[in-house]
Amino acid sequence: MNKRDRRQLLIFFAMVGPGLLIYLFIVAYPVIYSVWLSFTDFNPNRGGGSSWSFVGFLQYKTMLEDPNFWHAFNNNMFVVFVSVFGQIPIGFILAYILYRRMVKAQHFFQAMIFLPQFLSTIVIGIMWKRAFSADGPVSRIIQLVTGDPTAQFDLMLYADTVMIPIGFALIWMYTGFFMIIFLANLQKMNTNMIEAAKIDGATEPQIFFRVIVPLLSGTILVSTVLAIAGSLRGFDLIFAMTTQGLQRNNAMVLPIFMYQTAFQDYSNQMRFAFGSAISNAIVFISILLIMLSNFIGKKLNAGEEG
Amino acid sequence: MKNFTKTLLVLLLVLIIVPSIMAGGKSESKGEEKIVVTAMGYGDNSNQEGLAWKRIVDSFEKENPNIDIQDELLYDEAYHQKVVARLASGDVPDLAYMGADARWGAPWMEADQQYNLKSLIDTDHYDLALIPEMGPNGEIYEIPLGTSNITTVLFMNKNLVESLGFSQPKTYEDLVAMVPAAKAAGIDVVSIDGADGWAWGSCLMSSFIARTSGDLMWVSKALAGENKFTDKAFVDALGLISTMVSDGVISKKSVLVDYGTNVSNFNNEKALFMVQGQWAAGGVENPAVADSMVLMAWPKMPGEKASAAGSVAAAWSVGYGLTKSGAEDPAVRDAGIKFINYFYSQAEVTQRLRDGAIVAPVLKNFVVPDDLPNGVKQKVVLAQTASSSEVIDAFLTGAPNDALNAGMQKIASGQATAAEVAAEVEALARK
Repeated sequence: MNKRDRRQLLIFFAMVGPGLLIYLFIVAYPVIYSVWLSFTDFNPNRGGGSSWSFVGFLQYKTMLEDPNFWHAFNNNMFVVFVSVFGQIPIGFILAYILYRRMVKAQHFFQAMIFLPQFLSTIVIGIMWKRAFSADGPVSRIIQLVTGDPTAQFDLMLYADTVMIPIGFALIWMYTGFFMIIFLANLQKMNTNMIEAAKIDGATEPQIFFRVIVPLLSGTILVSTVLAIAGSLRGFDLIFAMTTQGLQRNNAMVLPIFMYQTAFQDYSNQMRFAFGSAISNAIVFISILLIMLSNFIGKKLNAGEEG
Repeated sequence: MKNFTKTLLVLLLVLIIVPSIMAGGKSESKGEEKIVVTAMGYGDNSNQEGLAWKRIVDSFEKENPNIDIQDELLYDEAYHQKVVARLASGDVPDLAYMGADARWGAPWMEADQQYNLKSLIDTDHYDLALIPEMGPNGEIYEIPLGTSNITTVLFMNKNLVESLGFSQPKTYEDLVAMVPAAKAAGIDVVSIDGADGWAWGSCLMSSFIARTSGDLMWVSKALAGENKFTDKAFVDALGLISTMVSDGVISKKSVLVDYGTNVSNFNNEKALFMVQGQWAAGGVENPAVADSMVLMAWPKMPGEKASAAGSVAAAWSVGYGLTKSGAEDPAVRDAGIKFINYFYSQAEVTQRLRDGAIVAPVLKNFVVPDDLPNGVKQKVVLAQTASSSEVIDAFLTGAPNDALNAGMQKIASGQATAAEVAAEVEALARK
């Protein structure tokens, strides 16, 4: 290594070092620490935090035997489903409509669809909570349509249906985000390809499915990864949309299960360690799903290339 | 020369930045010889509690320039979450809003941060007879805001009830008799914030279990193993919820009503009665309702035992106390106590009473003003006349309490029976 290389290496470390240190302290250390905690009976509030014991896989065993975990897991999978098969396709279609100028006032629609991104999640949660409450706007519409003044929108009350209005709110909130990603990528596409397809007699659906979708497969994959990661750590919107008690229990997702366990369940003496196990499960499931989406993405790309 | 200038500049920057990062608030307080008291207040900038806290902190600091109250104001779930987080991280405040029961006292007790104030209490200022003993040896961990916290109040809109041709109900059947007239008028008989799980436990069931069992201390006995949650008395008490819903006394839609909407419904005369704790009296701001409302215990319920007739559930009031960590430094401890005494001054307590935040003060020789609002007078009457039973979540915590609260919501919405919920609570409580 000559003097110039050494100097460049020093500059490299000087540039990367601060960021790397921050990452190690703020991201990597807590993750590793959390993994360690999940194998203990850690509770710093119990007896001053001095008494920790190694308990092996006890927290994970308890977690897997807890029906609340599986209930929260199912709800989380629903959120992932809504994100991947709801927000992304709708965002893509909306972006395509705007890109191909199929509607007038594109800028207005673009701003309106993206608007929820400018609002605080808590504000959005409270807004939808009010919309779905007793005699709230949605109930009033049902009462007008059915002519029954006592009719109520009660999907939020039942474990089987609570995720439907939540899924709707999730789509309303995040579709604009994916629309902007797709729109930005569509706008930097070479329009000659679309023109060439048109000259060859391709119809609008053929242009969309045979030209646009394959070209944006990378963007779709990145969006899917973002959607999965966001869905599994999603806490704020569902927390704000539901009230403590039956609604929140019904709509419980893994981060809420983790929060309620670690912060509220005083009857569980090992609740912080248990909470760590749940948060590690969230990370593990995220990695699995992202690997799966990468695998599917590669297969699809291979198919396109073939 | 260039290099020297650069080095000098870097050195100067380091000299400026590093000490300011390292020093934090301490050097400031040392420089000005201020005693810093870290405090956790309860309230937010939109409610009376929060506004009063901010005003008191500001005026206290003006009158005591050597004391700096570094406060954090939190409300509802944000408060409970932050307490746990701060205790877990070792960032223990010196002074805090706290309770001494299973809900409000549990994190402080678990972290061994409860500090006995008994020897510091000014007995000329506080009436010790009105402050409960909170520990096994008569410890007092916090100065309660008021004498007792009645959680199962039935607020009656007297004018509205009378306008429909009825009077104050003496029995449950009297409530049932109001249902057709209320329905015809398009209003509810009894409004409850049924979307909030805690409301069912704290504001309804805590009274019902005493009534059906005839034992004002049934809950603590259940936790001690003397009673079971599957006992007939408890199942019957839970069964009253489905009875009320099927009779139309409580609307099925109430499970979708939150706290704010409940108080608003009562304020706007959309209900004859409202179920809530005594603290909600301050939220009734419509003068037409506030001036004529009656705060009462639940009337005689089906299956009620005579020994608990007319009882209400009441818990120790929450208040402000010092933590063990805060009391370690005598200067901080004394400054903290000085602030607490200021917080509980005659003038502030009178204001709190007027705001409807408390039932009755714990101060010695407190002169009750003659011009108190109707709601406050009603509270005092209720506290003086009704016997009090235990509040469930003052004893039951965690998973069994959550299951009970959600279970009552399931009963009200027809998703579970009283026996099923009782069995679930019993199983979790014995786990």
